[in-house]
Amino acid sequence: MTPREIKGVMAGVVTSAVILVATFTAGGIHRNRYETEAQPGTKSLGPENVAVKGRSYFSQSCAQCHGRDAHGGEYAPSLLKLQISGAHMALVIRSGIKGEMPSFAKKYNEQDVAAIVAYLKTLH
Amino acid sequence: MIPWDKLHGAMTHFPIALLLFSTACDFVSVMLKKLPFARELRSVSLYALPVAALASLGAVISGIGLAKGDLWGRGDFAWHHRFVWPAFGLLMALAVWRLVVREAMSRFGLCLYLILMLLASGLVAAAGYFGGELLLSGGGVPS
Repeated sequence: MTPREIKGVMAGVVTSAVILVATFTAGGIHRNRYETEAQPGTKSLGPENVAVKGRSYFSQSCAQCHGRDAHGGEYAPSLLKLQISGAHMALVIRSGIKGEMPSFAKKYNEQDVAAIVAYLKTLH
Repeated sequence: MIPWDKLHGAMTHFPIALLLFSTACDFVSVMLKKLPFARELRSVSLYALPVAALASLGAVISGIGLAKGDLWGRGDFAWHHRFVWPAFGLLMALAVWRLVVREAMSRFGLCLYLILMLLASGLVAAAGYFGGELLLSGGGVPS
Protein backbone atom coordinates (compact mmCIF):
# COMPACT_ATOMS: atom_id res chain seq x y z
CA MET A 1 0.00 0.00 0.00
CA THR A 2 1.21 3.50 -0.78
CA PRO A 3 1.64 6.14 1.97
CA ARG A 4 -1.40 7.96 0.58
CA GLU A 5 -3.50 4.83 0.89
CA ILE A 6 -2.33 4.27 4.47
CA LYS A 7 -3.22 7.89 5.22
CA GLY A 8 -6.64 7.26 3.65
CA VAL A 9 -7.19 4.13 5.76
CA MET A 10 -6.23 5.99 8.93
CA ALA A 11 -8.52 8.91 8.08
CA GLY A 12 -11.36 6.51 7.24
CA VAL A 13 -11.03 4.48 10.43
CA VAL A 14 -10.79 7.57 12.64
CA THR A 15 -13.78 9.28 10.94
CA SER A 16 -15.84 6.12 11.13
CA ALA A 17 -15.02 5.61 14.82
CA VAL A 18 -15.82 9.24 15.67
CA ILE A 19 -19.15 9.11 13.80
CA LEU A 20 -20.15 5.79 15.41
CA VAL A 21 -19.29 7.06 18.90
CA ALA A 22 -21.23 10.28 18.22
CA THR A 23 -24.19 8.27 16.90
CA PHE A 24 -24.31 5.97 19.91
CA THR A 25 -23.91 8.89 22.30
CA ALA A 26 -26.70 10.82 20.57
CA GLY A 27 -28.87 7.69 20.58
CA GLY A 28 -28.28 7.21 24.30
CA ILE A 29 -29.13 10.85 25.03
CA HIS A 30 -32.28 10.60 22.91
CA ARG A 31 -33.32 7.42 24.68
CA ASN A 32 -32.77 8.94 28.12
CA ARG A 33 -34.76 12.00 27.12
CA TYR A 34 -37.58 9.83 25.77
CA GLU A 35 -37.68 7.78 28.95
CA THR A 36 -37.64 10.92 31.11
CA GLU A 37 -40.42 12.48 29.02
CA ALA A 38 -42.47 9.32 29.19
CA GLN A 39 -42.17 9.35 32.95
CA PRO A 40 -44.19 12.45 33.98
CA GLY A 41 -47.41 10.52 33.44
CA THR A 42 -45.85 7.44 34.87
CA LYS A 43 -44.28 9.26 37.82
CA SER A 44 -47.44 10.96 38.97
CA LEU A 45 -49.35 7.71 38.72
CA GLY A 46 -46.69 5.25 39.85
CA PRO A 47 -45.61 2.29 37.73
CA GLU A 48 -48.37 -0.05 38.88
CA ASN A 49 -51.09 2.48 38.20
CA VAL A 50 -49.67 3.15 34.77
CA ALA A 51 -50.01 -0.52 33.95
CA VAL A 52 -53.59 -0.43 35.29
CA LYS A 53 -54.30 2.53 33.04
CA GLY A 54 -52.66 0.64 30.19
CA ARG A 55 -54.86 -2.37 30.89
CA SER A 56 -57.90 -0.14 30.64
CA TYR A 57 -56.78 1.11 27.22
CA PHE A 58 -55.98 -2.46 26.24
CA SER A 59 -59.51 -3.56 27.15
CA GLN A 60 -60.97 -0.70 25.14
CA SER A 61 -58.95 -1.07 21.96
CA CYS A 62 -56.90 -4.27 21.84
CA ALA A 63 -58.84 -6.97 23.66
CA GLN A 64 -61.38 -7.35 20.86
CA CYS A 65 -58.73 -8.96 18.66
CA HIS A 66 -55.96 -10.01 21.05
CA GLY A 67 -58.27 -11.46 23.67
CA ARG A 68 -59.35 -10.09 27.04
CA ASP A 69 -56.20 -11.39 28.73
CA ALA A 70 -53.98 -10.92 25.67
CA HIS A 71 -53.95 -14.68 25.05
CA GLY A 72 -54.73 -14.08 21.40
CA GLY A 73 -57.92 -14.35 19.43
CA GLU A 74 -59.31 -15.47 16.14
CA TYR A 75 -57.80 -12.53 14.29
CA ALA A 76 -54.72 -11.60 16.28
CA PRO A 77 -51.84 -13.38 18.06
CA SER A 78 -51.14 -13.71 21.76
CA LEU A 79 -49.24 -10.82 23.30
CA LEU A 80 -47.90 -12.83 26.21
CA LYS A 81 -44.12 -13.02 26.48
CA LEU A 82 -43.47 -10.63 23.61
CA GLN A 83 -39.83 -10.75 22.57
CA ILE A 84 -39.60 -7.14 21.44
CA SER A 85 -38.47 -3.96 23.19
CA GLY A 86 -40.84 -1.40 24.67
CA ALA A 87 -39.87 1.07 21.94
CA HIS A 88 -40.75 -1.53 19.35
CA MET A 89 -44.13 -2.22 21.00
CA ALA A 90 -44.88 1.51 21.06
CA LEU A 91 -43.94 1.73 17.40
CA VAL A 92 -46.37 -1.05 16.45
CA ILE A 93 -49.18 0.47 18.54
CA ARG A 94 -48.67 3.89 16.99
CA SER A 95 -48.13 2.79 13.42
CA GLY A 96 -50.10 -0.45 13.17
CA ILE A 97 -49.30 -3.29 10.78
CA LYS A 98 -50.33 -2.85 7.21
CA GLY A 99 -53.39 -4.94 6.40
CA GLU A 100 -53.44 -6.52 9.87
CA MET A 101 -53.64 -3.98 12.66
CA PRO A 102 -54.84 -0.38 12.65
CA SER A 103 -52.76 2.57 13.81
CA PHE A 104 -53.61 3.98 17.23
CA ALA A 105 -51.53 7.15 16.86
CA LYS A 106 -54.58 9.37 16.66
CA LYS A 107 -56.44 7.67 19.49
CA TYR A 108 -53.63 7.49 22.04
CA ASN A 109 -50.89 10.02 22.82
CA GLU A 110 -47.33 9.12 23.81
CA GLN A 111 -48.17 8.66 27.50
CA ASP A 112 -51.18 6.48 26.74
CA VAL A 113 -49.05 4.30 24.46
CA ALA A 114 -46.41 4.12 27.20
CA ALA A 115 -49.13 2.94 29.58
CA ILE A 116 -50.22 0.19 27.17
CA VAL A 117 -46.57 -0.86 26.79
CA ALA A 118 -46.20 -0.90 30.59
CA TYR A 119 -49.22 -3.20 30.80
CA LEU A 120 -47.90 -5.50 28.06
CA LYS A 121 -44.59 -5.73 29.92
CA THR A 122 -46.41 -7.01 32.99
CA LEU A 123 -47.49 -10.00 30.89
CA HIS A 124 -43.90 -11.21 30.39
CA MET B 1 -44.14 15.87 16.14
CA ILE B 2 -41.58 14.72 13.58
CA PRO B 3 -42.87 11.79 11.46
CA TRP B 4 -39.72 9.68 11.93
CA ASP B 5 -41.31 6.62 10.33
CA LYS B 6 -41.98 8.47 7.09
CA LEU B 7 -38.61 10.23 7.17
CA HIS B 8 -36.76 6.96 7.72
CA GLY B 9 -38.67 5.31 4.90
CA ALA B 10 -37.90 8.22 2.61
CA MET B 11 -34.21 8.55 3.49
CA THR B 12 -33.06 5.01 3.93
CA HIS B 13 -33.21 4.00 0.28
CA PHE B 14 -30.73 6.60 -0.97
CA PRO B 15 -27.62 5.22 0.78
CA ILE B 16 -28.61 1.64 -0.08
CA ALA B 17 -29.07 2.42 -3.77
CA LEU B 18 -26.00 4.66 -4.03
CA LEU B 19 -23.70 2.21 -2.27
CA LEU B 20 -24.82 -0.70 -4.45
CA PHE B 21 -24.53 1.51 -7.53
CA SER B 22 -21.03 2.66 -6.55
CA THR B 23 -19.94 -0.95 -5.96
CA ALA B 24 -21.38 -2.03 -9.31
CA CYS B 25 -19.63 0.83 -11.14
CA ASP B 26 -16.30 -0.05 -9.52
CA PHE B 27 -16.59 -3.72 -10.41
CA VAL B 28 -17.65 -3.08 -13.99
CA SER B 29 -14.83 -0.56 -14.50
CA VAL B 30 -12.24 -2.96 -13.06
CA MET B 31 -13.49 -6.10 -14.81
CA LEU B 32 -14.12 -4.44 -18.14
CA LYS B 33 -11.13 -2.12 -18.30
CA LYS B 34 -11.34 -1.87 -22.06
CA LEU B 35 -14.75 -0.26 -21.97
CA PRO B 36 -14.50 3.24 -23.43
CA PHE B 37 -16.24 4.64 -20.35
CA ALA B 38 -14.48 2.54 -17.69
CA ARG B 39 -12.66 5.61 -16.37
CA GLU B 40 -15.92 7.55 -16.19
CA LEU B 41 -17.47 4.70 -14.23
CA ARG B 42 -14.69 5.00 -11.65
CA SER B 43 -15.45 8.72 -11.39
CA VAL B 44 -19.16 8.02 -10.96
CA SER B 45 -18.43 5.52 -8.19
CA LEU B 46 -16.06 8.03 -6.56
CA TYR B 47 -18.85 10.61 -6.26
CA ALA B 48 -21.66 8.16 -5.50
CA LEU B 49 -19.90 6.78 -2.41
CA PRO B 50 -19.55 10.04 -0.40
CA VAL B 51 -23.13 10.94 -1.32
CA ALA B 52 -24.20 7.51 -0.02
CA ALA B 53 -22.26 8.17 3.19
CA LEU B 54 -23.92 11.58 3.64
CA ALA B 55 -27.35 10.12 2.89
CA SER B 56 -26.72 7.36 5.43
CA LEU B 57 -26.39 10.04 8.13
CA GLY B 58 -29.97 11.08 7.40
CA ALA B 59 -31.13 7.47 7.41
CA VAL B 60 -29.39 6.76 10.73
CA ILE B 61 -30.64 9.94 12.42
CA SER B 62 -34.23 9.28 11.31
CA GLY B 63 -33.85 5.64 12.39
CA ILE B 64 -32.70 6.68 15.86
CA GLY B 65 -35.66 9.05 16.07
CA LEU B 66 -38.01 6.30 14.95
CA ALA B 67 -36.65 3.78 17.46
CA LYS B 68 -36.63 6.40 20.27
CA GLY B 69 -32.91 5.89 20.72
CA ASP B 70 -33.11 2.10 21.03
CA LEU B 71 -29.90 1.20 19.18
CA TRP B 72 -30.16 -2.57 19.52
CA GLY B 73 -33.58 -4.03 20.45
CA ARG B 74 -34.69 -7.65 20.05
CA GLY B 75 -35.79 -10.00 17.29
CA ASP B 76 -35.78 -8.55 13.76
CA PHE B 77 -35.09 -5.16 15.26
CA ALA B 78 -31.81 -6.46 16.70
CA TRP B 79 -30.94 -8.22 13.43
CA HIS B 80 -31.54 -4.97 11.55
CA HIS B 81 -29.12 -3.24 13.91
CA ARG B 82 -26.55 -6.04 13.81
CA PHE B 83 -26.10 -5.27 10.12
CA VAL B 84 -26.78 -1.53 10.16
CA TRP B 85 -23.99 -0.48 12.51
CA PRO B 86 -21.11 -2.33 10.80
CA ALA B 87 -22.46 -1.21 7.41
CA PHE B 88 -22.67 2.40 8.55
CA GLY B 89 -19.15 2.37 10.02
CA LEU B 90 -17.68 0.64 6.98
CA LEU B 91 -19.47 2.99 4.57
CA MET B 92 -18.07 6.04 6.37
CA ALA B 93 -14.56 4.61 6.43
CA LEU B 94 -14.66 3.63 2.75
CA ALA B 95 -16.02 7.01 1.69
CA VAL B 96 -13.26 8.89 3.51
CA TRP B 97 -10.61 6.47 2.22
CA ARG B 98 -11.82 6.88 -1.34
CA LEU B 99 -11.93 10.67 -1.08
CA VAL B 100 -8.34 10.74 0.19
CA VAL B 101 -6.93 8.21 -2.27
CA ARG B 102 -9.18 8.94 -5.27
CA GLU B 103 -7.78 7.10 -8.33
CA ALA B 104 -4.27 6.66 -6.97
CA MET B 105 -4.80 3.10 -5.73
CA SER B 106 -2.19 0.36 -5.70
CA ARG B 107 -3.21 -3.11 -6.86
CA PHE B 108 -3.44 -4.36 -3.27
CA GLY B 109 -5.33 -1.22 -2.20
CA LEU B 110 -7.83 -1.63 -5.03
CA CYS B 111 -8.41 -5.32 -4.20
CA LEU B 112 -8.92 -4.52 -0.53
CA TYR B 113 -11.22 -1.63 -1.40
CA LEU B 114 -13.36 -3.79 -3.70
CA ILE B 115 -13.64 -6.58 -1.11
CA LEU B 116 -14.69 -4.09 1.56
CA MET B 117 -17.19 -2.48 -0.84
CA LEU B 118 -18.69 -5.92 -1.46
CA LEU B 119 -18.84 -6.54 2.28
CA ALA B 120 -20.49 -3.14 2.90
CA SER B 121 -23.02 -3.84 0.14
CA GLY B 122 -23.87 -7.22 1.68
CA LEU B 123 -24.26 -5.68 5.14
CA VAL B 124 -26.48 -2.91 3.79
CA ALA B 125 -28.59 -5.40 1.84
CA ALA B 126 -29.03 -7.55 4.96
CA ALA B 127 -29.91 -4.49 7.07
CA GLY B 128 -32.45 -3.49 4.43
CA TYR B 129 -33.89 -7.01 4.41
CA PHE B 130 -34.45 -7.04 8.17
CA GLY B 131 -35.76 -3.48 8.01
CA GLY B 132 -38.32 -4.73 5.51
CA GLU B 133 -39.14 -7.68 7.76
CA LEU B 134 -39.83 -5.19 10.56
CA LEU B 135 -42.33 -3.42 8.35
CA LEU B 136 -44.08 -6.58 7.25
CA SER B 137 -44.08 -8.46 10.52
CA GLY B 138 -44.90 -5.83 13.05
CA GLY B 139 -42.28 -3.12 13.08
CA GLY B 140 -44.83 -0.50 12.21
CA VAL B 141 -45.86 0.59 8.77
CA PRO B 142 -47.26 4.05 8.39
CA SER B 143 -50.88 3.35 7.63
